[in-house]
Amino acid sequence: MEEMMCYIPKTLEEALEIKSRHDVIVLAGGSDLMVSNKRTLGLAPKFDKPVMIVRNLPELRGIYINEEGECCIGAGCTSAQIAESTLCPWHLRQAASRMGAVALRNSATIAGNIANASPKGDTPGPLYMLDARVKLSSVSGSREILVSDFIVKFRTIDLRPDEMITEVIVPLSEDDFDYVFWHKVGTRKANAISKITLSQAIKFNADGTVKDYRVAATATGAKTNRSRDVESIIIGKRLSPELIEDVIKGFDDVISPRAMPEFRREATRRMIRRFLNVADTHPEGKVIDTYDGYYVVGQPEPRVL
Amino acid sequence: MVAHDISKAVRRLDAVSKSEGSVKYIADYGFEDCLWGRLVRSSIPRGIIKDIKLPEMPDGYRFITYKDIPDGGHNYLHMIATDWKCFAENDVRYVGETIGIIVGPDRTIVEDLREKIVIEYEEQEPAVSIDDGLACKGGAFINDDNIHCHLKLEVGNVDEAFRKADRIVEETIETGFQEHVYLETNGACCMPDGDGYKIYASAQCPFYIRKSIAPLLNIDPSKISVQQTTTGGAFGGKEHFPDVVCGPLLLAAYVMKKGVKMIFDREEDIENSVKRHPSKTVFRTGLDKDGNIVAMDSKVYYNVGGYLSSSFVVLQRGCFHVTGCYEFPNMRTEGFGVATNTYPSCAFRGFGAPQTLFAVETHMCHIAEMQGLDPLEYKKRYFIKQGGTTSTNGKIVEKVMIPEMLDQVLKASDYERKAKEYKWGSGKGIGISFYNHGGAFTGNGEQAIIKGRAKLHKFKDGTVEILCSQTEMGQGFHTILPKIAAHILEIPIEKVIFKDPDTSRVPDSGPTAASRSTMIVGELVERAATLMKPRYDKEEEFEVETQYEHPDGYPWDQSTFQGYAYLGYGWGVCAVEVEVDPCTGEVTTKGVWSSHDCGHLIDEMIVHGQVNGGVLQGIGWASTEVLKNVGGHFKQTSMSDYIVPTSMDCPKQGVSFVENPYEWGPFGAKGMGELVFNGSGAAYIDALSRAIGKRITAIPVPTEDVMGYMLNGKDLKEAL
Repeated sequence: MEEMMCYIPKTLEEALEIKSRHDVIVLAGGSDLMVSNKRTLGLAPKFDKPVMIVRNLPELRGIYINEEGECCIGAGCTSAQIAESTLCPWHLRQAASRMGAVALRNSATIAGNIANASPKGDTPGPLYMLDARVKLSSVSGSREILVSDFIVKFRTIDLRPDEMITEVIVPLSEDDFDYVFWHKVGTRKANAISKITLSQAIKFNADGTVKDYRVAATATGAKTNRSRDVESIIIGKRLSPELIEDVIKGFDDVISPRAMPEFRREATRRMIRRFLNVADTHPEGKVIDTYDGYYVVGQPEPRVL
Repeated sequence: MVAHDISKAVRRLDAVSKSEGSVKYIADYGFEDCLWGRLVRSSIPRGIIKDIKLPEMPDGYRFITYKDIPDGGHNYLHMIATDWKCFAENDVRYVGETIGIIVGPDRTIVEDLREKIVIEYEEQEPAVSIDDGLACKGGAFINDDNIHCHLKLEVGNVDEAFRKADRIVEETIETGFQEHVYLETNGACCMPDGDGYKIYASAQCPFYIRKSIAPLLNIDPSKISVQQTTTGGAFGGKEHFPDVVCGPLLLAAYVMKKGVKMIFDREEDIENSVKRHPSKTVFRTGLDKDGNIVAMDSKVYYNVGGYLSSSFVVLQRGCFHVTGCYEFPNMRTEGFGVATNTYPSCAFRGFGAPQTLFAVETHMCHIAEMQGLDPLEYKKRYFIKQGGTTSTNGKIVEKVMIPEMLDQVLKASDYERKAKEYKWGSGKGIGISFYNHGGAFTGNGEQAIIKGRAKLHKFKDGTVEILCSQTEMGQGFHTILPKIAAHILEIPIEKVIFKDPDTSRVPDSGPTAASRSTMIVGELVERAATLMKPRYDKEEEFEVETQYEHPDGYPWDQSTFQGYAYLGYGWGVCAVEVEVDPCTGEVTTKGVWSSHDCGHLIDEMIVHGQVNGGVLQGIGWASTEVLKNVGGHFKQTSMSDYIVPTSMDCPKQGVSFVENPYEWGPFGAKGMGELVFNGSGAAYIDALSRAIGKRITAIPVPTEDVMGYMLNGKDLKEAL
């Protein structure tokens, strides 16, 4: 059997040190890398570079609220941890709770879900929408950039060779909005890859005009789609059927689905129209879904109702 | 039912070992001094092999092809037909066709070598779909029309009825590929054994393997003994396919004079194994002025793939079932097995019947709906009854209990209220389907072809061993058969031994296929136990053997396909309720209710399990299980893109049965393993099309296609 170089640092400091000196593949949960590098049955996976396993670094496993009230999630937190944590924003918990199967959610990490820069990734939608940032650390310090800038394009991220993702910081949550929407159209009801996922949130001013509106779509293009310009169409204004159609039209121009374009475009249009129409009636409650009869088993409750 | 009724569930004899993980599958076996094998396959759908460039082979490693077949040996696999080559020679007919096997002691090195083999082809234009095949795209490669096999059946006079008909409606219904997705992938090992060979395989039919591969070495099948290893699911995918695995292993063991083992990984298994036949059924149905059916004509096309193998028999069963649970005064069907450059299609739960049953059920719905009628009310007019004429001019021998089954399903599902309340296109829908499945081999096949035999052996200590070739593959048969024997002998089931068959130890009781095991082999064991019982206390150790005997008076002509195709059918009624997300087209299955007639149940829990699984598998086939073949390559090759439904995709099912003992079955049991698959897809599609108010003519229908129908589909009331 071929030999393979593998680093297993005990501390984050040690990990950053290794990263500064060696060209390594960082492996945390392994739910993507062990699959994409696997060989046939009974054979060890084949990596073209040495691997550094950071799965057990304690510095990367915590979730806390910082002094600014932002939710800070360690890069090595698993989807299961995020889905269960009441500190995490509702949209993100929804996405984490419907990612893959139980076994995958117990190993897949948020940093991995961001770093693989897949347009079908589950967490980038909510992260884009909530203006989340990634903290990138190296031996020479750290920097923070928006997740939406960090993911440059399909399978491409803005990460220097000596850097590692160490934290994900989410400044907003459902508390900042009156109504929220998260709907994943998966390949089936569980253990599913996204065919399209839409995250939305809206906040009204006391006078009934829109204070803030956000919409992000997953699996509708080469990367997660969001456009502040489109969202701004209704900000500061009172909702009307015409304005809603303008948002729909605007967002339709933002997305660029290659496969199943008719379905992805039409489902996106209908989900935006539904959310804004229902929100405009100012109903009781906080969560709006695709239709009134919708019920998904095991959906975590929003933080605040 | 009496207190000691055999239907009362017992704990399955394999429950503990499978739950705790102590049972060994083929991948768990360690064989001494055994080599590893990997198949080298065609990467193109059609072409000529120009050159094979091998890397340097270390000592002990070898690439084996058809050229290594000894003098007198034959390069084919005997699977009903003998056209399927074990190894491609000069040309390849489909992606995944075996070209050779690379073997050696280290698995990693074997794989490294495999990756370095370069095969140069002269590529030819492939025919992939049924239409491609019929159009002889790239030139015909079977006969001059790409028709592997063909049959025609007629009852009454369709042409004359058409002349008198008020109108003739036409419609085409299509179904797609389906992958078996057994939990355990294919695997086998072949060891030299004295002057012969011993095969260990995850398989349904150990005797099939022997017969199929012996010609490679031109040896008598008895020189090969096949030991079935614990088999983690099969669904028909391990009926003939293990021959494709074991043939190269046998040749490799012969060449290397050592054992050779091979286990497929999941992607390899999905990409390179048999599938359910895609189908296309073209109906022409004559109606009188009141909208009643006076004649139904159908042309049935199955995508057979590169080799015929078992497909003619699959096509026959498809054609025999094309009139479903109905009797029309005039019926005609013509079946065509179409050659294409895709992996050869083969057995899959239902064996050709589900495709035509789906087609006729859906077509019947559409004829009703274009007249504004509830499909149930329309279908009711044509239910076949005892003594009714079948598509092969035979009669239905048994009592048909569809009315009783329908009552059960109507009550459980509240169909009548819902069908009225849920307007077409309202987003909610309920659908209903009727289906059957002819048990065991067609016609007199059990007597003429299989001649099944089974033995019981009593030991001194009072234990009784069942000796037959029937396999356990998860369906529960290795509990069913001991239960039958124990019940007759009135001994505890623990005293009955039933091991995974080894062809050197057991008589050939036929394949574990065709819903025949309980119905036919169960009866052999019931009869053997009955013969054993009076001697059980008197004699220390002895054997009793029984052989299948066909009841007199039910003629069948296999050359003309006329007569009694099946003596006992399983019957089914299934209702499905769905709700469609108006924003996304997502379908939620809200309820599933079925009733089945399987004669008398041998074990209600096992039958229940079969119903739950079969019904859900049928819904998967109609909904999420998209398997596209583009340019000869399957596009879905892993468990994350080939979408089988999960338990979250289906609510708890309402399950009921009717008691209708079968005269010639053990305790009155009939076949049921395939039956339970045959109708849920049609009920699901009926419900879905009513919910969206659109006519659906092809499956599967994943979410994106539901949206497509919502936007562009034809209205249910549109004329056909």
